Amino acid sequence: MNNSKFDEWIKKILATEAKEISCSECLDLLPEHVDVEISGGLRREYAVKLEKHLYQCQACRDEYVVLRDLVRLEADGKDPLSGE
Amino acid sequence: MWGQSPAANDINYSMSVQRTNEEWIRDLGSGSDNQSAAIEELSNVLLRAALYTIQRQLGNLAQFSQLEVRQLAEDCAQDAVVTLLKHLPDFRGDSKFLTWAYKFAVNIGLTMARHEQWKGVSLDDLEDQPFPKDRAFEENLNGSSPELAAMRGEVWEILSATIRDELTEKQKLVIQWMIFDEVPMDVVVQHLDTNRNAVYKLLHDARSKFKKSLQAHGIGVDESLDLYRPKR
Repeated sequence: MNNSKFDEWIKKILATEAKEISCSECLDLLPEHVDVEISGGLRREYAVKLEKHLYQCQACRDEYVVLRDLVRLEADGKDPLSGE
Repeated sequence: MWGQSPAANDINYSMSVQRTNEEWIRDLGSGSDNQSAAIEELSNVLLRAALYTIQRQLGNLAQFSQLEVRQLAEDCAQDAVVTLLKHLPDFRGDSKFLTWAYKFAVNIGLTMARHEQWKGVSLDDLEDQPFPKDRAFEENLNGSSPELAAMRGEVWEILSATIRDELTEKQKLVIQWMIFDEVPMDVVVQHLDTNRNAVYKLLHDARSKFKKSLQAHGIGVDESLDLYRPKR
């Protein structure tokens, strides 16, 4: 582990909350969260706890990033498979 | 970031974006006259989402050919359609139907891609390595001040004692694999024959113990932010 990863690990440890949402709860909320983000809509009540989970969970964060980018490309009228 | 897939061009996609949420639900439902056409359209949409996901994850890795990526995406899309149809009654209409549908392809696609990337790596071999290791950071990195190195050392002493004295065997394993060996969660989930929620709980419980130990030594959030703020 290099220093920056070590430091990031410590920050995540200290950001731990007694109650955090599960991966299932996170993935359930993700589509609406992505649509709201891309449309510039009003943030939902759950956004903070969802973002805290995404901060702690690499697997869910990866899914969020891919889903967001895919939906954004289509919202912009771009072909996701064009490689641009 | 990822190369264009020539095979992707044969996928009809243009019609799918025209359906409303209600039309998707109506047409995909059993008994609908349009069910076959809707499922075919959904399959095309999810194949594109799967290709996007898997190309992005594996596309720039030389060991995976376009053909392998395409095959993996087709398997992923098939699984995603089956899974989505099973969960169709769960769709609440909180999002666009397609965003909700993509979730299945992205989830399955990333999981499949990670398993491909880690195929042939034995977690049991990683398990045999000594843990906690002597140190979890580089002490003599250029640019690190002696004070910062000393603080990292102090933090690591606390964490390694917590690993040794307070974590369960399963928590130790998950911390070793995911934090130190950077094994993806889905690979750990498969190896332990469990689910993502269970692994996340193991990590969360371990983090809670680490946090408590650090706070017991006077290291809290504010101090950490100061400690790790880059020095000018």
